[in-house]
Amino acid sequence: MKAFPGIRSAERRPGLLRKMGAFLHRDLLEAASYKLSFIFSVVGILMSSATFYFISRLIAPGTASLAAYGGDYFSFALIGIAFSGPLGVFQEGLPQVVRSAQVSGTLEALLVTRTPMPIILFGSSLYPLVFALLRTAVQIALAVAVFGMRLGHVNTPAFLVVLILTAVCFVSLGMLSASFLLVYKLGNPVSWFFGSVSGLLGGMLFPVAVLPPWLRGVSFFLPITHALEGLRLSLLSSTTFARVLPSIAALAVFAAVLLPLGFWTFRLAIRKAKRDGTLTHY
Amino acid sequence: MNGTPGAPAVSVRGLVKKYPLVRGYRELLAHPFRRRFVTALTGVDLEVGAGRCYCLLGPNGAGKTTLIKILASLVLPDGGEARVAGFDVEREPGKVKESIGLAVGDERSFYWRLTGRQNLMFFAALSDIPSARSRRRVDEILALAGLEEVADLRFNAYSTGKRQMLAFARALLTDPGILFVDEPTRSLDPGAARKIRAFIKKDLVEGHGRAVLWATHNLAEAAEVADDLAIIDKGSIRISGRTSDLTRGGRIPLQEIYDGAVEPEEADGPVPDERRRS
Repeated sequence: MKAFPGIRSAERRPGLLRKMGAFLHRDLLEAASYKLSFIFSVVGILMSSATFYFISRLIAPGTASLAAYGGDYFSFALIGIAFSGPLGVFQEGLPQVVRSAQVSGTLEALLVTRTPMPIILFGSSLYPLVFALLRTAVQIALAVAVFGMRLGHVNTPAFLVVLILTAVCFVSLGMLSASFLLVYKLGNPVSWFFGSVSGLLGGMLFPVAVLPPWLRGVSFFLPITHALEGLRLSLLSSTTFARVLPSIAALAVFAAVLLPLGFWTFRLAIRKAKRDGTLTHY
Repeated sequence: MNGTPGAPAVSVRGLVKKYPLVRGYRELLAHPFRRRFVTALTGVDLEVGAGRCYCLLGPNGAGKTTLIKILASLVLPDGGEARVAGFDVEREPGKVKESIGLAVGDERSFYWRLTGRQNLMFFAALSDIPSARSRRRVDEILALAGLEEVADLRFNAYSTGKRQMLAFARALLTDPGILFVDEPTRSLDPGAARKIRAFIKKDLVEGHGRAVLWATHNLAEAAEVADDLAIIDKGSIRISGRTSDLTRGGRIPLQEIYDGAVEPEEADGPVPDERRRS
C-alpha cells in the first residue's frame, strides 16, 4: 500500500555541505539586499584600527609586559580587537540565531523540515561567523598595509589549533547560552558573565600580566585568556609550537568540559521547551 | 518506504497536553516550587484515513493548534499516544517529519527579502530534496500553486493570498502524503479563501489522494470541505464522525450540531488547572 507518498529516501540526503551552502546562500542574499550595511562595516574597521593606532603611539615601545608579543602595543591590541568579533560570534551566534528565528517567525517552519535542530542552528550561524572571520582578516591586512602592524613569522599549525579549540570552547558556551534562551527567553547568565568579565580580565586590550595577582587567578579560568594568548603568540612572536602548548592545553581542557556540557544542556533545553510548548515563543 | 502499510494517516489515542502557566513575581515568591497548568488537550481520540479531508472544528483556544503541533512533533504530549503514518510523534519525530507537510496561516514564516523561488529553494535543501531535482520540483510546485508569475518577486511584495499559497507550496515540496493545515484561510478575502479550499479539496485530496487534517473555526468552510469532522472544545473532542453521517446527509445544519457541542459562554480560552502535571 502506497499510503503516504513522499520523495523516496534513496533519492534524498543531499548532505551537510549542501545544507550549509543553503544557509550561507540565504544569508548572503539577505545581506546583499541591505546595500549600505557592508560599506559602513568596512568604514567601521578602518575607524577602530586608526583609533588604536593613535592610542598605541602614546605607549612607549619596549614595555616589559608586551615583550612576549613583539613589544608593540598596536599589534597586541589589534589582535584582541580583531578576534573579539569571531569570538563573539562563536559564543553569541547560536543564541542570536534562536532569538532571531523566534522573533521573525521562521523557527517553526525550519523545525518541521527534515533537518535536525542542531544543524539548523549551526547552519544559521555560519554566515555571521564567515563574515566575522573575513572581517578579522581584512582588519589585520589593513593594519599591516596602512598602519605598519608587525606580524612575526606566523606559526600556522599553532594558530590553527588554537583557533579550532577556541571555536569549540566558545560554541559550547554558545550552546549553554542558547539553552538559557530557549527556556527563559531573556536573561542569560552565560552571556552576561563571559561578556562582562572577558573584556576586563581576558586580556583583550592589555596583557593579563598587568592585573593584580588575585585577578590574574580569575582570568586563568576564562577561555578567552588562553585563546588570545595563543593567538597572539602564534601570530606576533615568531615562536615555536611548544611555546604555545600551555595555551593549547588549557583550551583543550575547557573544550573537553564545555562541549559535552553544552550538548547536554542544549538537548535538555529543547526537550523542556517542546514539553512546555514554548519552543517558538520569545 | 514512507509510512507503515495499512496504518491510518493519523491515529491519536487518549492524548493529553497541559501547559505550565506563567507565574507573577508575587506567586513565585510565595510558592516558588508550585506550578500551575492549563489543560489544552484531555483524552483526545481521532483517526484520519488516507485520502480523507478531516476537519477539526472548534472555537479559539479549543486545542486545535496544540494538536497539530504535537502531530508535527513541535510540542511533546504529556500523555496518550499520537502516530503519524504509523510513526510515534515522540519517539520517531524524524520519520514523522518525512511524512508530513505543515501549512499555517502565518505570513511571518518566510524570509521577506528573498523571492518566493529563493525561499522554496532554501526549504528544498533543508527538506533533503536532491540538488539535481530541487529546481524542477520548485518549478512544479510553483505551477501547482499558480505562483509562476510572482516566483521571482520578493516575498514582501506578495498579497496575503499568494503568501498563503506559497505556504502550501512549501508544505508540498516533499510530496508528503499527509498535510496539516491550521486556519489556512484566516485573513483571506472570500475569493482567495475559495481558491485555497478548492486547491486543498480538489487538487490535493481528491486529485492526489492526500490525507489532510484541517483546523478551522469556520463552520461554512468545514461544511464545504470535510469528509470527516470532529468538534473540539476545551481540549476534548465533543463529537466526531463522517460529515454526511453527522449531518444526516445534509439535513441537519452543521451550526446546530456545533451549538449543541460547544459551550459558547466559555469558548474563548482554556481554563487553568490547579493540578500538577502527572
